[in-house]
Amino acid sequence: MSVLYNCPHLDQPHPPYPPSYPSSSSSFSPLSHLYFCEECDAIRCDQCVAVEVASYFCPNCLFDVPSANVRADRNKCARSCFACPLCKTSMAIQATETKSAEGSSVSGPPYLLVCPGCKWSSREIGWEFSKPTGLAHQLQKINTQQELVQSEFDALKDHLESYVSLSSTAPTYKSSSASRNPSRHISQLTQMAAKALHRDVPGMAASSARTRTRSLGFGVGKAGKEGPAEWDDLGEYKAKGSWKMIGLENGMQDVETMRELQETGGVGPAGLSSRWSNSWEADKMSKSMHPQRISLQTKSTKRCPDTGCRHLLIQPDAKGVRMKIKMVALNYVPSIELGRRKRRIQSGNLAQPTPEELERRRRDRRRVRGVVEEEDEDIRKRLQAGEVYNFQLAFTNPLYDPIQIRLTQPHQPKSAPTPNHLIFIPTQHFTVAALKDAWAYDDDEEEDDPMLGLEGSEGASEEGLGSVGKRSRLSALGSGSLRDKRGRDSGVDKKANTTKVGLEIEVLPGATGPVEFDLEVRYKYRADEPVHAEKEASGKEGASESIAGKEEYKTFTFWIRIKAGDVASA
Amino acid sequence: MGAFDPLITYEKGTYIETDTGNKVSRRAVIAGATNIILGGKSIIQSGAILRGDLRRATAGQHVVISMGRYCLIGENAVLRPPGKIYKGVFTFYPVKIADYVHIGPSCVIEAAQIGHGVEIGKGCILGKFVIIKDLVVLLPDTVLPEGTVVPSLTVWGGNPGRCIESLPETYQETVEARCKGYYQRFRPSPSPSSVPA
Repeated sequence: MSVLYNCPHLDQPHPPYPPSYPSSSSSFSPLSHLYFCEECDAIRCDQCVAVEVASYFCPNCLFDVPSANVRADRNKCARSCFACPLCKTSMAIQATETKSAEGSSVSGPPYLLVCPGCKWSSREIGWEFSKPTGLAHQLQKINTQQELVQSEFDALKDHLESYVSLSSTAPTYKSSSASRNPSRHISQLTQMAAKALHRDVPGMAASSARTRTRSLGFGVGKAGKEGPAEWDDLGEYKAKGSWKMIGLENGMQDVETMRELQETGGVGPAGLSSRWSNSWEADKMSKSMHPQRISLQTKSTKRCPDTGCRHLLIQPDAKGVRMKIKMVALNYVPSIELGRRKRRIQSGNLAQPTPEELERRRRDRRRVRGVVEEEDEDIRKRLQAGEVYNFQLAFTNPLYDPIQIRLTQPHQPKSAPTPNHLIFIPTQHFTVAALKDAWAYDDDEEEDDPMLGLEGSEGASEEGLGSVGKRSRLSALGSGSLRDKRGRDSGVDKKANTTKVGLEIEVLPGATGPVEFDLEVRYKYRADEPVHAEKEASGKEGASESIAGKEEYKTFTFWIRIKAGDVASA
Repeated sequence: MGAFDPLITYEKGTYIETDTGNKVSRRAVIAGATNIILGGKSIIQSGAILRGDLRRATAGQHVVISMGRYCLIGENAVLRPPGKIYKGVFTFYPVKIADYVHIGPSCVIEAAQIGHGVEIGKGCILGKFVIIKDLVVLLPDTVLPEGTVVPSLTVWGGNPGRCIESLPETYQETVEARCKGYYQRFRPSPSPSSVPA
């Protein structure tokens, strides 16, 4: 059971494809997730807005990280925030208790990281800190790679660098077409390779930190010559250390690992979620997992995606949850809810309707007459095929002016599969009162405007689409009270800034699956400032019209998708 | 919003209503009431336990539990201040709860701070000195270990609790309307004699 709103995704407003087209679901979201651009007069959703990062913060210490530092900190908190390697809880810093000379316990260094959730302690991997602050910085000093790995890495890099820098300088002199030297033609690639070679590798000292003299002499003499030997002039790399030196004990480790694979928890293999954020070469066992610094989170600024607009829709405040700019659809578009399900009790005639009969009903969108008895039902219950249900739709107006609503069913494309239900909207035209302070509503209840009794009557629907006529306009002008005297008879129920109207759904015999349908909602509201002719012409909806001299009215159309429930399988 | 939400009724006389509109169940256990501040229009349901007696050991007036407006403490929820040893002495610290906070039934709360518009599902356990910032949803049966910090506009769930998703920018309006609506719908059930036919 849900009511979702359509976002046109930058397109001109048009009826969405019916629910039978699964592709249409991507343009529907709950109202609370939608934005509204006043400039474009259009609904925007999370999928189409342009998102920019406004600020970075650590979700644990809530420190606002200046964006200049974020890259250097590798998008992680550079203070003392670590996540437990086993359960991902943020870890606490614990001092070691020692007995002092007087016998009372004194807490002091070394400090440990302890998980408050699973009690994992950094002592297990030998992490101990001398100060309780700036752990990430202290750790950086401890945790650089061993000399052997580092020197091997540097040597390999130098070796490759000589090759890359050589071939990237080559295109300066033209080689004849006869000499097919690949390295001449792929200078772009080699430049990219050079860039990649200079990229920082986690755990290794940055290349810029270790300036080395390039051994450019290597292979220069050969570069100008022609011949098949030049296809690859990379010399052989001699490793400093060899895997053979490590010896056979490595094999024993593997045996041990395999034995531990059977185990679970703190001994066995680590879960995928904890390995995911580690580097590629990580050990897969839980015991070799290290606490990771906590990733930073962002607050984002959202803009209208229209290239000619780019107006801010959301601008967060650095402090707190308030937004400096907040253009959300909730404040512009009436919110719609579905509720109060009633099942019509069939009296007598239970004969299956003929196909012609169904077709006629579909065309006419007419109510099935002759039955009156209804019983309330739990809205969460599954729908039964072949039953007629009465729902109520509640429209709540977020504007400070009353609005007039026209509720219709959008036309189905010709080739669309026939839906498993029929819909009848008894009241297609009605008004919703303005939003006011809570105490202001009480006075309204006293007043009574007999003219408004005409509104919401069933007659309105019979008149067809062109009936947003004089009557409804009058009601919008005489906005003093919108209470409907006859409301209950026609299923229209008005209270404060909410109007409830009826909606009939006939679930066809033999129906299965969800009962979903789209409705077109068109509402007319008073424009804030009188719209000038030029502006009017450029307006997207373009439907503003001048009524009673200076009053300006505008219309806005949107589509909603209602899921009334699932049909119980017989 | 909330146009179809049903009334939540209670038997008349089982709740005490204060001047500021607080509704406190007679079957709630409230210890050390002088150390508890309710902001008004808050509901404390039956079976809830509020430990206002766990105050700081030093002399003088100490507020143990302070709560804003439109809050709800669900049935059988336990709210007690966190405590720890500081400089060799065990001390309790106050609990601060802002406005529009709903605490579900059967929760155990030892948090230090719960921000504005926080919804805590049923059966959650919040460890000592947990800090929850504004506009947060804790799914039912979430367990937050000691000292967890929950940043604003997030949804947390699981044991141990983790951030699952973020909330839309409109959540503040949504939660305030919901909490106000809940308070307005929380009414004594009409006595049998006055039930309309």
